[in-house]
Amino acid sequence: MRTIRTTNLVPGMVLGQDVLFPRTGATLVSAGTKLTFDLIRRIESFGIKEVIVMQSEKTRQEEKEEELLPVFTEYHDRVITTANEIFTSSEQQPIEARVVKDLVSELLEQVELDSDLMLNLTHLKSYDDYLFSHCVNVSILSILIGEALGYSKEELNLIGTAALVHDLGMMKVPNKIWKKNGVLDAEEVKLIKNHPLYGVEMLKDFPEEILSIVKEHHEKYDGSGYPQGLKGEEIAFKARIVGLADVYDACISNRPYRSRLTPQQALQIIFQDKEKYDPHILKAFISVMAIYPIGSLVKLNTGEIAKVIRVNKNQPFRPVIKVLFDRNGNKLDEPLRINLDDDRNNVIHIKDNLSAEESNAIIEQLGEEPGVAEQL
Amino acid sequence: MRAELINPFLGASFKVLKSLGNEHVKKGELGLASSPVKGDEVNATVGVTGDLLGQVIFCMSQQTASQVASTMLLGLPITTFDELAKSAICEFSNIVTGNAVTELGDKGFFCNLTPPTLFVGKDVLLSTKDLGFLVIPLETGFGNVKIYIALREADK
Repeated sequence: MRTIRTTNLVPGMVLGQDVLFPRTGATLVSAGTKLTFDLIRRIESFGIKEVIVMQSEKTRQEEKEEELLPVFTEYHDRVITTANEIFTSSEQQPIEARVVKDLVSELLEQVELDSDLMLNLTHLKSYDDYLFSHCVNVSILSILIGEALGYSKEELNLIGTAALVHDLGMMKVPNKIWKKNGVLDAEEVKLIKNHPLYGVEMLKDFPEEILSIVKEHHEKYDGSGYPQGLKGEEIAFKARIVGLADVYDACISNRPYRSRLTPQQALQIIFQDKEKYDPHILKAFISVMAIYPIGSLVKLNTGEIAKVIRVNKNQPFRPVIKVLFDRNGNKLDEPLRINLDDDRNNVIHIKDNLSAEESNAIIEQLGEEPGVAEQL
Repeated sequence: MRAELINPFLGASFKVLKSLGNEHVKKGELGLASSPVKGDEVNATVGVTGDLLGQVIFCMSQQTASQVASTMLLGLPITTFDELAKSAICEFSNIVTGNAVTELGDKGFFCNLTPPTLFVGKDVLLSTKDLGFLVIPLETGFGNVKIYIALREADK
């Protein structure tokens, strides 16, 4: 229980004590009520300055998340480490398809358990080794897009496997080139543009379908991609999926030549060039990522600032959010979880995403780069 | 219906349409329609509860709805009017009514909204338990949108 100024109330907070009419002392709103937008306004209208709120009970979803989170985090780290090991030793020992397939089978199990939690992990970018975490994240994203398209488990495993090794060919490109912060010369560009082909050479004993995905993941729907400049239906369908997941993850990652973009900026960049992608896949992508993807910092019409933590199926505008700052810009002691798909919250909507500068300022205010637990 | 109850909806519609790139929205002649009214191809209804009771209904052709949805979905081409497109129209109705209700709060009417219900298909009859609707016809860059409003003050 704690006392809070009425001007700092956030919809979703739960009253710890009855709020009384100032004159008569009759009950205006009773203890235990989950506050809605209109109730807050009503309380304020009576000139009531402070009320007592209490800790709201954890939802079953929250409890399950808390249980799964450490398991998932450890697992995600382990897959990245394993990817690192098999990629690094690929020079001496060709990668076996079975090893990667088994790794993806495990990934699939986690995605089935809680895809949003998995998606949360792909948005944590504190890894030093971009290449390996990128491959794992593209694998997760490709699986999720495939799932939205109705893929069977077998197909999901195939696309996940292909995505996990899609950038293996980068191992043949000298480190100094793809970490270069500056303009690449013609020779360097050629090496980079050939990485899909190097990948195919290194994965000889993989199934043909996987090789086509690796080879064509940089082709674009409008023909502007590389190395072959394929167009539209000429590009393997699953390669178009991996290609989109690849662009998104690259956008939200720190690169030597630019800082990472916000999830919303990444979506905007993709949609600015939407002719580069298959519209069917873009649609599946939106149904997975939503309009305000997990990890986005957003402003509500009621003035609060929140972070998107889960996506509600078929509700791309109404995710589950965690309110971080109240409408007066005060940081909440306990971030407040709100499901915008809850019928009581219909007046509330996401007004806008925060700009990159605003996001950075918020992240700074929150202290260090938040850990996983704090992200959720 | 008093003008002070209607103006927030008009203002909110203009504001939201503008944020979707519609700078020049033309308001047609406000009118009255007795219940029931015949809807359009896509009809989204939002219930108002609290100090004011009633409904706000947004009616438009499927083509107009597809354009609104596409804009809200970052320019995604809408080829079939599917779940994603429907969710966008629901959110459009939510945002307009949410903005209007916030403004009504400034005037001392504290209201909440019920989630939008979408009716797709011609020959839908929309009725209200009140006498009738106030109609706001809008000419937008997406096509024509009609907003039907039936609101009354709750008994205190």
